Amino acid sequence: MTLNVNPVVYGILFIVLAPIFGGLLAGIDRITSARMQSRVGPPLLQPFYDLGKLLQKDARQVNPIVEPLLIGHAALMAVTGAMLLGGTDLIFVAFVFALAALFLVLAAGSVNSPYSFAGAERELIVLLASEPFFILMLAAICKVTGESSYQGVLASPVWVAWQLPGVLLAFTFVATIKLRKSPFDISTSHHAHQELVSGLTSDMSGRLLAYVEMAHWYESAILAAFVVLFFNWSIPLGLLVFAIAYGAEVLVDNSTSRAKWQLVLRSTWAVTLLLVGGNVLALFLIK
Amino acid sequence: MSSLIAFLVVFPLVVGGLLLAVRNGKLRNVIVVLAALVVAGASVVTAMTFGNGNAVFFGLPNGLSLGQWLLAAEVAIAAFVVVISIQHRRILAPVLVLAQVAITVYLELSGKMPEVDPSRIFWFDRLAMVMVLIIGIVGTLICVHSLGYMRDYHRSSPLIKGRRTVFFCLLFVFLGAMFGLVVSNYLPLMLIFWEMTTLCSFLLIGYTRTKETVGYAFNALNMNMLGGLGFSVAILLLVNGNQSLDLATLTSGPATAALLPALALLCLAGLTKAAQMPFSSWLLGAMYAPSPTSALLHSSTMVKAGVFLLLRLSPAIAGSNLGTLVAFVGMLTFLFVSLVGVTEQNTKKVLAYSTIGSLGLIVGCAGLGSPELIWVGVMIIIFHAVAKGLLFLVVGTIENRLYSKDMENFDTLLSRLPLVSALALTGIAGMFIAPFGVVVAKWTAIRAFLEIPGWQGAALLVIMAFGTSLTLFYWGKLLIKVLSMRSVSEYELSVQKRITRFEWLAEIALAAGVIGIAAFIGVISEQVVGPQALATFKGTSESFLHVQPVMLTTMVVAVLFLPALALWTSRQKHYDMNDFYAAGRPVTTAGVMGMALGGSRTVSLRNYYLEGVVNGGLVFRAGTVVCGVLVIAAIAVGMVAR
Repeated sequence: MTLNVNPVVYGILFIVLAPIFGGLLAGIDRITSARMQSRVGPPLLQPFYDLGKLLQKDARQVNPIVEPLLIGHAALMAVTGAMLLGGTDLIFVAFVFALAALFLVLAAGSVNSPYSFAGAERELIVLLASEPFFILMLAAICKVTGESSYQGVLASPVWVAWQLPGVLLAFTFVATIKLRKSPFDISTSHHAHQELVSGLTSDMSGRLLAYVEMAHWYESAILAAFVVLFFNWSIPLGLLVFAIAYGAEVLVDNSTSRAKWQLVLRSTWAVTLLLVGGNVLALFLIK
Repeated sequence: MSSLIAFLVVFPLVVGGLLLAVRNGKLRNVIVVLAALVVAGASVVTAMTFGNGNAVFFGLPNGLSLGQWLLAAEVAIAAFVVVISIQHRRILAPVLVLAQVAITVYLELSGKMPEVDPSRIFWFDRLAMVMVLIIGIVGTLICVHSLGYMRDYHRSSPLIKGRRTVFFCLLFVFLGAMFGLVVSNYLPLMLIFWEMTTLCSFLLIGYTRTKETVGYAFNALNMNMLGGLGFSVAILLLVNGNQSLDLATLTSGPATAALLPALALLCLAGLTKAAQMPFSSWLLGAMYAPSPTSALLHSSTMVKAGVFLLLRLSPAIAGSNLGTLVAFVGMLTFLFVSLVGVTEQNTKKVLAYSTIGSLGLIVGCAGLGSPELIWVGVMIIIFHAVAKGLLFLVVGTIENRLYSKDMENFDTLLSRLPLVSALALTGIAGMFIAPFGVVVAKWTAIRAFLEIPGWQGAALLVIMAFGTSLTLFYWGKLLIKVLSMRSVSEYELSVQKRITRFEWLAEIALAAGVIGIAAFIGVISEQVVGPQALATFKGTSESFLHVQPVMLTTMVVAVLFLPALALWTSRQKHYDMNDFYAAGRPVTTAGVMGMALGGSRTVSLRNYYLEGVVNGGLVFRAGTVVCGVLVIAAIAVGMVAR
């Protein structure tokens, strides 16, 4: 990577390119899932067609604040990624990332409806479960490299993944939550067969749903960028590991049933405490 | 300077005395508003006179001396406590206060008291300036707010005997005592103001004189008197050890072993007043008092005195075992109360847990001590004073309109009380919407924790990560309730019109303050908090002063977004609402659902309180025990060090 480019350029590139990355990932996801279920599946670009269709449709506004909140959600996700690649302090990014996720909860919660509300509450629980991990992960990466920005970590001679194996292992666990994959897809689902119908997106339609989809694509790209941080000596290796891990997530998604929120919360906290806490403790004791 | 400070201390006391005699409501309104203007103005003038910002020391105006006045004040406070305790048949408070008086009298009679340096009675620096501004502006706004609040409070609770003369008298005396406390340099003088704040909070908590509140009031009195006794014993130890009673001298650098016992007891005093575990229960009991009392105790007085003292002590205790233990008491308190907070349904109590947690962070910073961490501590004090003051006032207003403090009854608030919602959202944004407010401080704290070697650094990181996420959960729940919408009737909307001008004035001013601090965080950091942090630790690093423009922009947008959205909604006369998805059942935009077998019900949605995963009561007791052990260890470490 040529480091003499202004990091802001990477930030802007993220805003433009991340949806393409996320959309293609969603397309691959659907094809892979279909093959696992012995179906042919949709074309690779189907998520983009879907998004175009959603944007054309009328949005049924349950109340006037859902739309601004969802725009805020998508915009903040884009800003999080832009800040991450644009060289903002990594720990600061962790806080903005949480805020971005919170806006989706607020949008769903503002609808005074049972399905949306239950979805919003569960998403909040999922946030509570995963947030300690992301703060600790980014703090640990800063600690091992002594750097505070994305470019700094990439340029660091320290091989992050070797120093933080526990954190990397926990990442694959927590990513299941962020990608809203089974068994941790308690707050929403693409399929309307769960007890919450589609949870926090129940009352979002047309372009409102398109914002949610866009935000999710940005989120996937942010997660990929996080994985690259672990493999800071080789970006292609990082992306390859992300692809393999994503494939594993799809497999898990198709072979498990949804867990209860209690299990999600307990297991994520336990994993974070043991793997990440243990790894961080070792780091502090050795260094 | 000395006459300005004397004015700030004495004027509120005089106004308080005057208000005791004023029974006419209209006259009281005039006096309170005028006095609030004068006090706020005087505090601003004091801050402006401060000029170049180097610490200054000075004595009483016109060469007056303290003489025997301190002893007289101590005896008066003790007599008052004894009388009121006898009336209510309580034994612990008088024992504690008499022990204190015994120490003071012994010291006076034994002739061991060192000569007071008449030019170093008061200490004014940037920290004192920040405190004076908070007390002078936030504190007086709360007094103005009370004018409206107390009227409605007594209308909605006719069984409680109104004693508003006493109430307003206490508010002003409280402010006067706080002014004195934050500028005191001579420890025995600070102790008098310390005890005055204890007494004021005791009387304010017990204002309604019901059996319940009297119990809570005495709990607060006992715990804070214990801290006060620690303060007295600390003075005794200092005098016996031929040490200075000059706070600035004591805390000019790392303490010698001879000073540690006294410092440990001063830390105990700070921890009690800052309501850290195991002393948290008094602040939770205080929630049963009228809301302006809570606002005052949380934002500008009382608990802030506790963390103020600990921040003052920070350079002396940092780096010692005592400092580390105090820091862990604070950080563990933050973690435990955040965990209890997610199980709490009473909004005022959620705010109280959030306060104790924020104070815990400040205590953690004070105990560990470094320029960065002092910066964090003072920043949290500023953000918290304005945002939490606003939130308590708003919750008080809502409580008087909806007759409930239960978070669950705040749903669809945006539709019912749109302007109040906008104010509440400003306060919540100020408290926790990343990256503004306390979050900026948390971020800097995490950066500082990364530099702490050994298991302590790792433990602090883990505590911070989990504690922060827990606060996100309870704030998120409150936000969902405030932001939800449904169709409302004209009658429901008219409720908002009954809010008094005093309440609007105070709440809008504080909301403007929250936004102002967000916009000027760079200036505040570079001109005030940064130099203060560097002066405290005689550091030269300036890395923490820099706020990147991209962060500043995000910050202002983030803090304005939700309130602006609420205001925009309230301006729309007839916005589009559609019925939500209800699995095919007929439903109205007001949230009434048709049932399968006929009839209809209004949708009622309840938040999750993590039942079965987190047991709030158990966590609270566990925290009390763990932190209690740590506090005892801290005092023991201090004693052994000698």
